[in-house]
Amino acid sequence: MAAVDPRVEQYARLLVERSLTVQPGWQVMVIATPLARPLVEEVVRQIARIGAWPLVRLSWVHGEQVAFDSLWAAEAPEELIGTIAPIEAQARRELDAWMMIQAAENTRAAALLPPARRVALRKAYAEFDERRMQPGFPWVGCLYPTQASAQDAGMTLAEFEDFLYGACLLDWDAERDRMLRYAERFDAAETVRIVGAGTDLTLSIAGRSGVVDDAHLNMPGGEFFYSPLEDSAEGVVEFSEFPASYQGNVCEGVRLRFQRGEVVDASASANEEFLLAALETDEGARRLGELGIGCNPGIQRHTRNTLFDEKIDGTVHLAIGAGLGFVGGLNRSAIHWDMVKELRNGGRIELDSVVVQENGRWLL
Amino acid sequence: MAAVDPRVAAYAELLVERCLGVQPGWQVLIRSQPAARPALDELVRLIARKGAYPLLRMNFSLWPTDEAWAALAPEELVAELSPIDVYASDHMDARITMEAPDNARGAAALTPERRALARRASAPFFRRTMTHEIPWVSCQFPTNALAQEAGMRLADFEDFFYGACLRDWDEEARSMQGLNARFDAAEQVRILGEDTDLTLSLAGRKGEVDGGRTNMPGGEFFFAPVEDSAEGTILFDVPSELDGGPVDRIRLRFRSGRVEEARAEQGEETLLAALAMDDGARFVGELGIGCNEGITRPARNILFDEKMAGTIHIALGQSYTHIGGKNTSSLHWDLIKDLRQGGRIELDGETVQEDGTWLI
Repeated sequence: MAAVDPRVEQYARLLVERSLTVQPGWQVMVIATPLARPLVEEVVRQIARIGAWPLVRLSWVHGEQVAFDSLWAAEAPEELIGTIAPIEAQARRELDAWMMIQAAENTRAAALLPPARRVALRKAYAEFDERRMQPGFPWVGCLYPTQASAQDAGMTLAEFEDFLYGACLLDWDAERDRMLRYAERFDAAETVRIVGAGTDLTLSIAGRSGVVDDAHLNMPGGEFFYSPLEDSAEGVVEFSEFPASYQGNVCEGVRLRFQRGEVVDASASANEEFLLAALETDEGARRLGELGIGCNPGIQRHTRNTLFDEKIDGTVHLAIGAGLGFVGGLNRSAIHWDMVKELRNGGRIELDSVVVQENGRWLL
Repeated sequence: MAAVDPRVAAYAELLVERCLGVQPGWQVLIRSQPAARPALDELVRLIARKGAYPLLRMNFSLWPTDEAWAALAPEELVAELSPIDVYASDHMDARITMEAPDNARGAAALTPERRALARRASAPFFRRTMTHEIPWVSCQFPTNALAQEAGMRLADFEDFFYGACLRDWDEEARSMQGLNARFDAAEQVRILGEDTDLTLSLAGRKGEVDGGRTNMPGGEFFFAPVEDSAEGTILFDVPSELDGGPVDRIRLRFRSGRVEEARAEQGEETLLAALAMDDGARFVGELGIGCNEGITRPARNILFDEKMAGTIHIALGQSYTHIGGKNTSSLHWDLIKDLRQGGRIELDGETVQEDGTWLI
């Protein structure tokens, strides 16, 4: 076998040391697919050197929190799906850190489960999701490059690896300082206005503070984000530049009109059906849970993967659905769907009427 | 993708229905490896239909040991299972172990010291199955690595594998129970063959028949012989392995139940290290009699070889307490003796098997 790509070792070190800050004696759950073997083994070695325990949970299903759940959850009695196995519940109460490595063999394989069963599964894992969203709980979501994710990105695997490591292996302290500078200006502002192609949307972040993701919760990091006031969104946003995808379902040309924080008009040029169904998930699905500002200089293009796309330098993203409790968000929903808006094509961001970013370039 | 081999579905059903008897609400822990995917998919579906939970532990090495970790972690940590894994071990309702190695020699990288620590760590996991507190089954999935060990193409190995596993187990169990009753009634068993003359006492001990329950393939009946009774010599002529290290043509001399002399033509170091593991490692934990007619040749695979009709096996180390065994050890290593050419089994002086053929 060829030697392991040396970038895998650096990547594993970042995840274990920076993102999770693993300490001796910790129990660290590592979720992945077998395709991520080189990274999983390197992560396990790093955890070993620190003197902590890895709890490696592999399954073939992409991006899920429970092994084989789509096979199991497709056929098990519905009441069972809504209740986590006691052994798995205990593990999620006790574990000290949590790492989710996406390593898909087919990024469309998760789309098959009926919505009712998907909601039941989420309910089963709600207790842990709540724990994970507490401030300070160490967790990280990341990606291991596979042919499937390269295919989604329209790249060869080698190109996609360069792209991925280019976005992840950054000087994160320097990135943090830069993003903190922007975030301070946002923290001090009351109103954010986003103007761009087909878009003029105003949001209030009065009294809310942002969080900078400098490669702690996500790898790559490279965004700062807010939960805007739940009833504040006014205006229109058109995600015309990039597709909006949620759990394997891809919508194009999504356009949302907000009044007093609520989506009052929604359309899409492709797969509108799924968009409308998602908005009907529950009451909170029509309100915004997040405004994020992408700042990762290593990410310049869209790759059909939210983890990367929402960090594109010169974009913002808006999530319909669940707010982020640790930044003051109050909106509750079973969904959290990030949609990315391009601003490098004549867009701008205003804070209390002062233009702070134009064409994706900061004026701060 | 091609359709799944229908034998996989039959195999998974056998494991869920016959071996475990999975009930609604059970938490069924499945420890396996990625190459077992077709069978794991099927197991998960069957367990779902039962209304039970599969707890999949599909790792590169067999959970709860992680070899990449155990090679580097502080030794005191390697010797201890994480509290979360201890909890799982204490609360699972059943377990399936399905080996599916991608390299049958891949485990040899751990030093014997660290291997021993890892064994100690996994003791809480095995405790509830060695005592038969919960239903369990040990089995495999046919991979190229196992086929390679057996010296076969994968397709031939699959035929061999399913030929040994997909049997009429009720009928197999009935015929073995008849043989087992004769052993139960006897006090002394004597094994004779090339360089072999070994006596063991079964006085007061009852045998157990594996008619396709705790092992798949099943096809043996076994005893925990009286611990201080083994006397004589034996040559194990079926190649063996321990933790990925090959060992062949082991010769042991027993006195008062204890191994007094040990040699091997291949892997003698592995043998001696195993015997030195603890006090119980030098005593016999099990005498098993292979009865599976679907297995006619060794496959360098203990799970199959020990069931081969016309062989017996002796395990060094831990015995099964539910059949009266008292020996304790972190070792349980089955060594196999072929009796089909010039071998013989005597019960209280009466020959009951000759050249691998039953006379009773």
